Amino acid sequence: MEGKYYGQKAPPVRENRLNAGDGFAGKCCASLLESGRGGLLTQTCRDFWQGNACQMSLTLMMATTIEKAAIVLHGPVGCGSNMHNLGPAVHKGKKCRGLVPAPLRWLSTNLTEGDIIGGGEAKLMEAILYADREFRPEIIFVVSTCAPSVIGDDADEIVTRAGAGTRARVVLLDCPGFKSRVVASAYDAFYHGLIRYLPLEGGPGAGKKGLGPADGARAVNVFNSTSIGQVDEAEIARLLGELGLRARFYAEYSNAGKFRGLTGAALNVSLCDIHDDYMLGFLWQRFGMPYVMGGMPIGYGGTRGWLESVAGPLGLGREAGEVADREEGRLRATVEPLLAGLRGKRVLSVGGIARVMAVSMALKELGLEPIGFHAYHYDDTAIPLLERTQAELPDLPVAVSSQDFELFGAVRKFGPDLVISHSGTQGLLAKMGVPAIQLYDVDRPCLGYKGLHSLAKRIAFAFANVSFQKRLAAKARFPYNKEWPKHDPYGHIKTT
Amino acid sequence: MESFIESPRFSCALGGAIATVTSLPGVIPIVHAAMGCAGNLNSAVYFGGGYLGDGYCGGGHIPTSAVTESEIVFGGAKRLESEIGNALGLIEGRLFVVLTGCMVEIIGDDALACVKTFRDGGSPVISVSTPSFTGHSYGGYELVLEGIFNDYFPAGRKKAGKLVNLFGLVPGYDPFFRGDLAEMGRLVRALGFSANTFFTPDQDFRNLESAPGAALNVLFSPAWGLGFAKRFEALHGTPYWVTNLPIGAAATDLFLKELGRKLNVSQKKVENLIDDENKNYYGYFLRTADVIAESDYKFYAATVTDSAYAAPLGFFLQEELGWVVTDSFVTEGLSEGQRLAVGSAYGASGLGGRLAFETGASQIAKRIAGYQPKGKRGSVFDERVPFFVLGSALEKSPCLKAKAKHLSVSYPLYDRLIVTAGYAGYRGGLRLLEDVVSSLVSAKA
Ligand code: SF4
Repeated sequence: MEGKYYGQKAPPVRENRLNAGDGFAGKCCASLLESGRGGLLTQTCRDFWQGNACQMSLTLMMATTIEKAAIVLHGPVGCGSNMHNLGPAVHKGKKCRGLVPAPLRWLSTNLTEGDIIGGGEAKLMEAILYADREFRPEIIFVVSTCAPSVIGDDADEIVTRAGAGTRARVVLLDCPGFKSRVVASAYDAFYHGLIRYLPLEGGPGAGKKGLGPADGARAVNVFNSTSIGQVDEAEIARLLGELGLRARFYAEYSNAGKFRGLTGAALNVSLCDIHDDYMLGFLWQRFGMPYVMGGMPIGYGGTRGWLESVAGPLGLGREAGEVADREEGRLRATVEPLLAGLRGKRVLSVGGIARVMAVSMALKELGLEPIGFHAYHYDDTAIPLLERTQAELPDLPVAVSSQDFELFGAVRKFGPDLVISHSGTQGLLAKMGVPAIQLYDVDRPCLGYKGLHSLAKRIAFAFANVSFQKRLAAKARFPYNKEWPKHDPYGHIKTT
Repeated sequence: MESFIESPRFSCALGGAIATVTSLPGVIPIVHAAMGCAGNLNSAVYFGGGYLGDGYCGGGHIPTSAVTESEIVFGGAKRLESEIGNALGLIEGRLFVVLTGCMVEIIGDDALACVKTFRDGGSPVISVSTPSFTGHSYGGYELVLEGIFNDYFPAGRKKAGKLVNLFGLVPGYDPFFRGDLAEMGRLVRALGFSANTFFTPDQDFRNLESAPGAALNVLFSPAWGLGFAKRFEALHGTPYWVTNLPIGAAATDLFLKELGRKLNVSQKKVENLIDDENKNYYGYFLRTADVIAESDYKFYAATVTDSAYAAPLGFFLQEELGWVVTDSFVTEGLSEGQRLAVGSAYGASGLGGRLAFETGASQIAKRIAGYQPKGKRGSVFDERVPFFVLGSALEKSPCLKAKAKHLSVSYPLYDRLIVTAGYAGYRGGLRLLEDVVSSLVSAKA
């Protein structure tokens, strides 16, 4: 079905591949399902927008984690601005995974007026060759941005030509920000680069093991993401270990050698349906590797469902049920007292669509009251989760929004007791006087049973003292005029 | 400027413009570009500027036209118009500034025409062209100043008399811009003048409006803002003075004497101020001198900063601490003319180090590593030990490797929080002293 994209020069964007959109408000998941899968969200826009991330910046987040890689950012000098934030984050991510942290090596092709007129290809070539010589990396990621795309640079051609003479593998990540309003397109852009330019088989341990029983522990590939920290990987490895499975994590924090061993696993496992469908579909088509996408392992039900999805094809269904029973039994006893005084607290969730739904269901399990969510985007990979959430929380109002002014309006209007929200919004929420916690935090467990325990603790801790928020709220000024909170927070979403 | 750059320590013109506008009171940016530019460029200073944070209408609040493929193909003017109209309805501000990104400039969108419609209707909206490919963040700062002070505010305003405008420190890309401006403002006021610092929290939009009536513009930058200051003088009749940002007593004494002459302040008044400030400064400095002398905190040193900080920082290290400055790396891209200007400001400070225009982290790291003892026994003839680098956070790990001391004082600065800190003036000099010595003693367990 999607095979047609894998052979193309440029990766698809999710608007075209998956009916993606980023503006919607409705009374329940079913209404979003109906509009979303019908392609209606691709027709919506806003008459007012606020700045956000782009698919390029998210692609960089993934590429910078790869070991012994250098980055050539092809564009004007500003596009690499969040590198100074990524550097320390990746340093920490490598360190806690036992990898050797090294300073981020990257070049900007620094396109100037002359390049815009005459083309930036020669400069790109020069930068790739310099990076190869100077940094001696295993992989050079060429990240191509808006300007070269608009002026028509053929980065694929340069990368292919340069790659013939470099020691490093040169991988093009073609991800101009203006091509997609949903940053989730970045996942496909990154995976597309791996697929097109890197050998994914033939390394040691890459022999196909298939689904049958093999010697020793069976290896499964588990696909991580930028929002999944090492503590989460450890929890997932622990749970899969209980089933006699050995988890190997891809693609972040991998390296060229590890990629060559990718095919040596019984099964490819996703931790987030939204993140991995492009890659797992490819590995199935190209190498016949089976895969599962069982939602995110968040909450009792979410974790059980995820474990069962992995165990099912491996014939370990009964064992998975036993592990879940045992873990749940143990956890309930510790979690219950934590939230004793907080039952019925009304919680709004904000962030990636898979997480906000998974967290909403977990909140219900914990006895809190989910009152809605803002998902940063919609695309068709969310359909199974939307169906599940609809069944669990049939009256949960939903919005698709990554916009601060809509979040501001919604918080004023619905008055949640707590907001569980994506990073980047915590400052706003604190100044509004609302207790809030991070939707994810790579330093703390968020997945599996450890994650649920941590969620309960973090919620209780948020309510333990709200003085900071209260004091801020008394002093903070917001740029929106006084009338705005009286309006429909989603009133600027329009259908074209 | 022309070649590729390793881990640049600045963003594009749009990035500098966003940092500038979001730090000015009452001024609202409207970014005409793709969705990601505003967010990405904001994060450059949010993190890299010592955790500057978002500001009143920064970060996720920044209105943007968020152009996509269809605007790139068919033009983005309609989208921009709708964005401006809705921003005016939704956001409270005194002045709205449209800033343009690379993709809309390439396709030739006419933001000026768009803005004119609103201006004609009486709305305070201007447009500043900031294509990323024509310059970097320092240039973006200059473009915004030009757009607001020279293009927007009408010429021919009456002189307010005793008022001084302070310019030249680029928000965020100079992580100490607030502390430095506050201290310079304090000293100007101590001479009996009012000071517009624009970017400090005590200011509001009236400070911007009063600027054309000032008696003097002080520009703390040898490389940036000269064209702006000249046009300002031609339009508003305010003379300008380009000078180094003074750090510490030695430099600030000289600065005040010169400023006093420019403003016709009586010598007596200036000298009294200098005396008072020195009494205070050395009251602290002399006691700290004990630990410096006893611990032999004397270093070979290199600085890695933008051009505004290079000479002032070197001067403090050389004159007040008695260190030997080997290298001053200037990290923002500069034209030939700007390099000459920076070079002569450096030379005029009497600095003995080598001034290098270099931004590449690995090139700078190589130079620093080169000062360390080489060979099996660690014996060489030209090693510089002990060594101290005052640079950005990018220098931290190479310094660790080379066993050199390190303090982050320049962009990107993400291993310290900068709130009120600034190194300018007397208070700033003491602050620098405190930070340098603290970084040395903090290793003690
Ligand atoms: S120019 Fe394009 S790629 Fe660069 S930051 Fe802006 S949206 Fe992202």
